[in-house]
Amino acid sequence: MDENIRFLHDGPLSPIKRWGAKWSLWPVHLVTACCGVELAHAYACGYDGERLGSLNYGIARQTNLIIVEGAITRKMARVLKITWEQMPDPKFVIVMGACGLNGGLFWNGYNMVRPSDVVPVDYFIPGCPPTPEALLRAIRALQDKIMSGRADSTARFEKVDLRDLVQMPETPKLKRAPTPPLKITKAPPIKVDIPREVDWDGDEILSLINDKIGNYATGITVTGRGRIHARIPLERWRETASALSANFDHVRSVNVIDVPHEEKFIVEYTLSSYTDRTLTGVLLTIFTEVPREDPVIESLADIWPSADYMEREMYEFFGVWFDGNDWMGRKFLLAPDTPDYPLRKDFEVNKESYVIGRERR
Amino acid sequence: MREEYLDIPVEPPAEFQPLFVPIPREYVENAFRSDEFIVLVGPQHPGSGHMRIVVRIKGDIIVDALPEPGYVHRSMEKLAENRLYIQNIPLFERPSIMDSSNYNVGYVRAIEDALDIEVPERARYIRTIFCELSRIGTHLYDAGIFSVFLGHTTGFMWPFGLRELICEANLRATGTRVTTSFIVPGGVRADVDDSVLKFIYDSMGVIEKRMKGFEKIFIKNPAVIARLKDVGVLTKEEAIRYGVVGPFLRASGVAYDVRKVEGYDAYDELEWEVPVGDDGDAYTRFLVRVEEISQSIKIIRQAIKNIPRGPILSDDLIGKLKEKDQVRKNIKGYFYRIFSRIRLPQGEFTSQTEAGRGLLLYSIVSDGESNVPYRVRMVTPGWLYLKGFMESLKGSRLADLQAIYGSFGYFPPEADR
Repeated sequence: MDENIRFLHDGPLSPIKRWGAKWSLWPVHLVTACCGVELAHAYACGYDGERLGSLNYGIARQTNLIIVEGAITRKMARVLKITWEQMPDPKFVIVMGACGLNGGLFWNGYNMVRPSDVVPVDYFIPGCPPTPEALLRAIRALQDKIMSGRADSTARFEKVDLRDLVQMPETPKLKRAPTPPLKITKAPPIKVDIPREVDWDGDEILSLINDKIGNYATGITVTGRGRIHARIPLERWRETASALSANFDHVRSVNVIDVPHEEKFIVEYTLSSYTDRTLTGVLLTIFTEVPREDPVIESLADIWPSADYMEREMYEFFGVWFDGNDWMGRKFLLAPDTPDYPLRKDFEVNKESYVIGRERR
Repeated sequence: MREEYLDIPVEPPAEFQPLFVPIPREYVENAFRSDEFIVLVGPQHPGSGHMRIVVRIKGDIIVDALPEPGYVHRSMEKLAENRLYIQNIPLFERPSIMDSSNYNVGYVRAIEDALDIEVPERARYIRTIFCELSRIGTHLYDAGIFSVFLGHTTGFMWPFGLRELICEANLRATGTRVTTSFIVPGGVRADVDDSVLKFIYDSMGVIEKRMKGFEKIFIKNPAVIARLKDVGVLTKEEAIRYGVVGPFLRASGVAYDVRKVEGYDAYDELEWEVPVGDDGDAYTRFLVRVEEISQSIKIIRQAIKNIPRGPILSDDLIGKLKEKDQVRKNIKGYFYRIFSRIRLPQGEFTSQTEAGRGLLLYSIVSDGESNVPYRVRMVTPGWLYLKGFMESLKGSRLADLQAIYGSFGYFPPEADR
């Protein structure tokens, strides 16, 4: 068997085989992230990647090229590996975009994987996103690689002797690293319902909301044009929601704010209405505070089905248990190996730092 | 007839474990007992982008559909907490890069709202032009992908050929094809030349003309109509109940458009209509988007005709800078000086925007002291209409899944963020 494979690779007919592979690089439809926009352009009428013998195809078993389009997340890494394993030999990988190189814009994200850790990569294309020309250039480079067997960089750089340009001192002095511009206050006061003076005539709407939930809310504040915040005690949460459900027919956002130094989560539901014409321009945010050590709150997904997926998401991000939502305790958006509750403030991502000498700041 | 009942213990197939398909074991057993099948669609498949839909079918009728998103979850909300307000602009346009201007404008308006910045008139018009360009671009992109889903290759080529014009307009004005990051708090990054505006105006004529051809070969194509008519219907009540947004909500008969409701940028000063359908099926959803392209063309033409002269960056931000006149035309070279010190007052600031696929909501919580946001909540249209999308699958045939998927233009990077 090995002998046959060796014959195929190095035998007298191998140039023909390589020539065939060169002109039939078919990328599998493994669209992984937003660089797919420029990939689609590269194969559309403007750039016409098909003239290089390359055409997107749906089934991994009949393709020989993976174009990784940008970011690979922990969930997608598994799929990338499985797709790679399914493909017949010879097979190639081109990684598009800065995310695929080293994370790019998301370099310190908690859900990112480098494609080069998952599959062997033939060519990287830098850019965010790379232009279609760059993608076609990578395909040309890959064709050259197939024919010649050498993987050369397609970028050529002039050799410059730095000593001609700058006068370097004999022993360079270590400079202090500049301080990063971020100023993050530790344990700041967090308040979401700060009243604001705005040019907005909302008295009717305010009185309607007051009629509905005035008994439950401990404070109704106008925080902007058409933005109202209502503070609800945790024990009146469900009653408030059912009182509002007749007028406010959907949820636009479920938000949790982690305030570790005050030992609480702030849970917000942003409501609006399509049916009630007077309320269409209004965003009513009802919010309550949940203790941080035992974050349980009643789910409102049965009152507003539109909140269902956002509750699941918030459970995964913060670990707030929405009691009554049947997906609690399961993964939905994150991969099983993603760290738990990554959006809590005590989960830290890497921050930018400067390295001078061996000193890291 | 006597009912036979075989108690066969059902294990979820071995592939389920390493793939972590989030199906409860009872669900698989239940499906088996009721003589139904579970089909995994995606994530590596042309008919489903980078998401998986777990479809439960009886015969070939979809009984239930569970989504499995998160294949492109790039942790944006967390990363935003460790970056300057200005650094978040390119971060927040990555969910949907063909729609970058709308994503910028949403985030930037939340900052402007917090700081009470008045945007100069010319900047508002430029923003409107680029927002509408990216809206056309998004609709064309989805029309192209939709055609691929239906197996119509010519229908893929036409919109992408037209998208080249929009990329070229972006390139001439902002320097990049898709990820423009052109809109900054208080205005836009640079003034747009009259020659570029003329190019945009002329390309609107081309797009309008070529869309007629697209109508002949794709939109009015009997094969396309047969595949889309009465497929994946969402009634008005369902659409409201599941919180569907944007053109998909309007296709179900709800005349709601954030541009009309909030009247941001220059939309109040221009004349245009909100296209509304009433069938709520895949074909109507597509037609509403096609009609929105012609409305956007109308908006762009008016905006280019009426665009006033003046500065492109707000004086509230420029402050006492010496090089005022230069910065009013182009921010180049003064970017860090002007924007690095942005600090929002304490409180929560929410902005709503009509992005290409619907409502986009940013909610910034600031502590008033740090120069980074304490928390940013970003709700994208894809994430909002996912529930409605799953509900509309129920009751249709398995073969129609791609048609419904394409009609929603579901773009996973956008939904997962």
